[in-house]
Amino acid sequence: MTVWRSRVRLWWAIFRVSVEERLVYRGDFAFGTLMRFLPMLTQIFLWWAIFDAMAARPGETSDVNAIRIKGYNLHDMIAYMLLVMLARAFSSMPGLTSGIAGSIQKGEIKKFLIQPVDMLGSLLIQRIAHKLVYYLIAIGPFALVFFLCRSFFDAGFPAPDQLFGLVLALVGSFLLGFAMEACLGLVAFWLLEVTSLAFIFMLLTFFLSGHMFPLDLMPAPLDRLIGMLPFQYLAYFPSAVALGKVTGEDLVWGLVIQYLWVIGCWVLCRWLWVRGLVRYGGYGG
Amino acid sequence: MADDVRTKPQQSANRIVNEPIPDATAGDGITGTGPLVYWRVFRTFVRNSLVRSMGFRANFWLECVSSVCWTIMNLVFFKIVFSYTDSIGRNTGWGENEFFVFLGTTWIITALIQTFVMPNAQEFSELIRTGHLDFALLKPIDTQFLISFPQMVWSNLANLFLGILLVGYAVLRLMADESNPLTLGFTQVGLYLFFILCGLVILYSVMIAMASTSIWLGRNQTLYTFWFYLTNFYRQPMEIYQQGMWGWTLWGFFTFVIPILLVVNVPARILAEPLRPGLDERTWSLAGLTLLVTLLMLGLSRWVFQAALTSYRSASS
Amino acid sequence: MVTRIAPPEKPWRLASPKTMPLIEIDQLSKHYQVYQKQEGLWASVRGLFHRQYRQITALDAISLQVERGEFVAFLGPNGAGKTTTLKILSGVIHPTSGTCRVMGHVPWQRANAYRRRFALVMGQKNQLWWDLPAQESFRLHQHIYQIPAEQFQATRDELVDLLGLAKLMRQPVRELSLGERMKMELTAALLHRPEILFLDEPTIGLDVVAQHNIQQFLKHYQEVRSITILLTSHYMKDIEALCQRVVIINEGRIQFDGSLAEIVGKFDQERIVSLRLADTTGIADLQQFGRVTRSQPPQVQLRIPRSQVTSALTEILNRYQVDDVSVSDPPLEEVFAHLFTQGREATDQGASAPKEDMAGSRRLTGEARH
Repeated sequence: MTVWRSRVRLWWAIFRVSVEERLVYRGDFAFGTLMRFLPMLTQIFLWWAIFDAMAARPGETSDVNAIRIKGYNLHDMIAYMLLVMLARAFSSMPGLTSGIAGSIQKGEIKKFLIQPVDMLGSLLIQRIAHKLVYYLIAIGPFALVFFLCRSFFDAGFPAPDQLFGLVLALVGSFLLGFAMEACLGLVAFWLLEVTSLAFIFMLLTFFLSGHMFPLDLMPAPLDRLIGMLPFQYLAYFPSAVALGKVTGEDLVWGLVIQYLWVIGCWVLCRWLWVRGLVRYGGYGG
Repeated sequence: MADDVRTKPQQSANRIVNEPIPDATAGDGITGTGPLVYWRVFRTFVRNSLVRSMGFRANFWLECVSSVCWTIMNLVFFKIVFSYTDSIGRNTGWGENEFFVFLGTTWIITALIQTFVMPNAQEFSELIRTGHLDFALLKPIDTQFLISFPQMVWSNLANLFLGILLVGYAVLRLMADESNPLTLGFTQVGLYLFFILCGLVILYSVMIAMASTSIWLGRNQTLYTFWFYLTNFYRQPMEIYQQGMWGWTLWGFFTFVIPILLVVNVPARILAEPLRPGLDERTWSLAGLTLLVTLLMLGLSRWVFQAALTSYRSASS
Repeated sequence: MVTRIAPPEKPWRLASPKTMPLIEIDQLSKHYQVYQKQEGLWASVRGLFHRQYRQITALDAISLQVERGEFVAFLGPNGAGKTTTLKILSGVIHPTSGTCRVMGHVPWQRANAYRRRFALVMGQKNQLWWDLPAQESFRLHQHIYQIPAEQFQATRDELVDLLGLAKLMRQPVRELSLGERMKMELTAALLHRPEILFLDEPTIGLDVVAQHNIQQFLKHYQEVRSITILLTSHYMKDIEALCQRVVIINEGRIQFDGSLAEIVGKFDQERIVSLRLADTTGIADLQQFGRVTRSQPPQVQLRIPRSQVTSALTEILNRYQVDDVSVSDPPLEEVFAHLFTQGREATDQGASAPKEDMAGSRRLTGEARH
């Protein structure tokens, strides 16, 4: 019992320090978040031009909003873009991979060998704290943009069960994002050039997670492959849930598979950590 | 070691003392002024940056891979888009092949900017922050030239080749189009290259002007991000903005105020002739505007740069 | 060979080329506006719209003349204005007010004709390409300064020879030691044979041997080439070894301008007398001759006012059994430290300037430059 109490106290301490550390940068935060929506403008106009050209085809209704690509009309497409931003606010982990890789290469992980603190655990708590502070400030810009764009959400506000599913999917995407990037960072035990690798990984995530466009649009052989990878749970899945594209049994199964990926990646993470430490200790640090 | 230095001067003293002390007019007597000097210095920059990137070969290849990766993803996205639609925008003429000329041109321009301009603009902000701009100010050569070209990131040039390939492929497809073939003359290709150059000058000017402001604002980490957001606008055909109040406002802003919409649009229109046969009136007037804007922006950036220099404080650290 | 007539904008050069000082500084001032950062969220939001500034004076109306061939040292605590002076003279920054002419040019107009004729070397900043051998940076300098190939080679070889750099030419600059790097910086700066050399802390952070090497080199080079050198330094050794003339700057003002001997004569009123006694009885009575600064029997160190040294020594030698005796000047550092504090007291009493300790003023000027 007392073991748990002291452990919780330690977690709380890490959490509090991390919150304070983050609060220092609050000014740049709000502005930066608003700026991040800027590329969306181009996206909206681009999709409009695409749907408009499709509506102009002979034999079409010539009503832009009636045109659908794989079940997405123009409004859905724009709503999807917005929701993807929300999902990535949960699942992206700026600096995690390079942070872990850096502390391995500089030998800073030695302190985790000495102190009774688990590195992955404390990194996770730090990340939760950072994210919470981020949401506290980003909620303003996000609410503003979503409010301005409310007319694009044809289905209106999600129903309670859908909302519940969305929350679970977002939390899952956070955990999955953390575990995947932590794994990549731990590769630094074996490889030197992890930063470039992380950059390529980031590009792949942008494409494979559905950040660029809804994964439903993927042509035949690619969609099969992407369905077998965990990336879609970082952006596409939560957004599709919010849009009501995934409901009922599909939603439950989606969540189950997402959390299985979370567990899988977390186990891999642990394994890499343990193996890495053995290797690290092997050549004397 | 100390003895070494003490004796050495004695040996070579005679040699030095015979040299005339440069007199006050020495500066005026030096030959080879003008463009030739700038060309020689530029060549040395090319040489030095090549030597340097060869020093980090593994890094060089990884950077090539990641920038090519990004470009391929871009292509796949538009390949998918064109599996659902015939063109981008109603009656704009930006069909698949026309648009791929546009896309390829975007890659070419972006690659050149990322190789030659962006590293220097970033470095310039860094020079201001650390006070190393001092050294550029000491040199008897135009300061703006000196800070504009020293760094070149050659790995970014990978996309230049992809861009040329894509443009070449798309142009050939357009020329082979049976219903409305594209016919190209040397003048047109010449104009295409010329307006790519104009586009580069416009982007360079915007970037240098932006980087110069860090002398006043002292903040540079947002520069890169801001630039990234800004460049999002020039990567699309301008027709997509030409609808609704918001669209026209954006179009007007990025055509006349920060004229980056002209950068890719004008050369791409000249080569792909989206509304062929022939070049439409609109393309010609845009080309005229581009010419004007290029000179204007270059002058403006020069003015901002000079004005900023007078406020330079030279940090010491 | 076409002899050019001096351009019309510099008519004075024709009039009296010999009598004009090489460097003329008149009432030069430099003020900085420093943005004061506020603590707390609300204050930093307000700071976005309403910035509070504070004025820092780096130079306060200094006037100075330097003749061709002089070797002048600028001395003063951190943030006194030494570096600011050099930066204005080299045209890097603009002064707030006052005038300045170097070889007939206004430095901050940055005319190419002027920039070809001087060089600035800073111990804290390095201008060579970090990842490349210094050779490549030299080549760049050759093209920038338009140095003819033969002259470039001759100058470079001569400098490389003098400084013993031949073996290091192919090594990337980042792999060189601090001392080697400074020698390379000096070489780069001298390639175009400047007539004036500005040196800002050239020996900072170097070990004693490297410092000595650079001093020797500068001394030799200045003598042979009779170029004009202005140097700022923290190391008294630099100044003792090199400079005939010392300008002491503190808090943006010139406190002293003259020879090193003069300073010592003017400000140094004590001598240090070190004794080794054969018999330590009565050692406590030594106090009556002067201040005892160290007492480790049988060794004693005393500070005795200069005028009394002779009489005191006679007396001591009469009374005590002395094995060894030596008389020396107090270290220069001490003289200067004394000088700086004196200067500050004077300004504090004179004007209603805010009272700040030396550390405080250093901090302020540090901010001013960032």
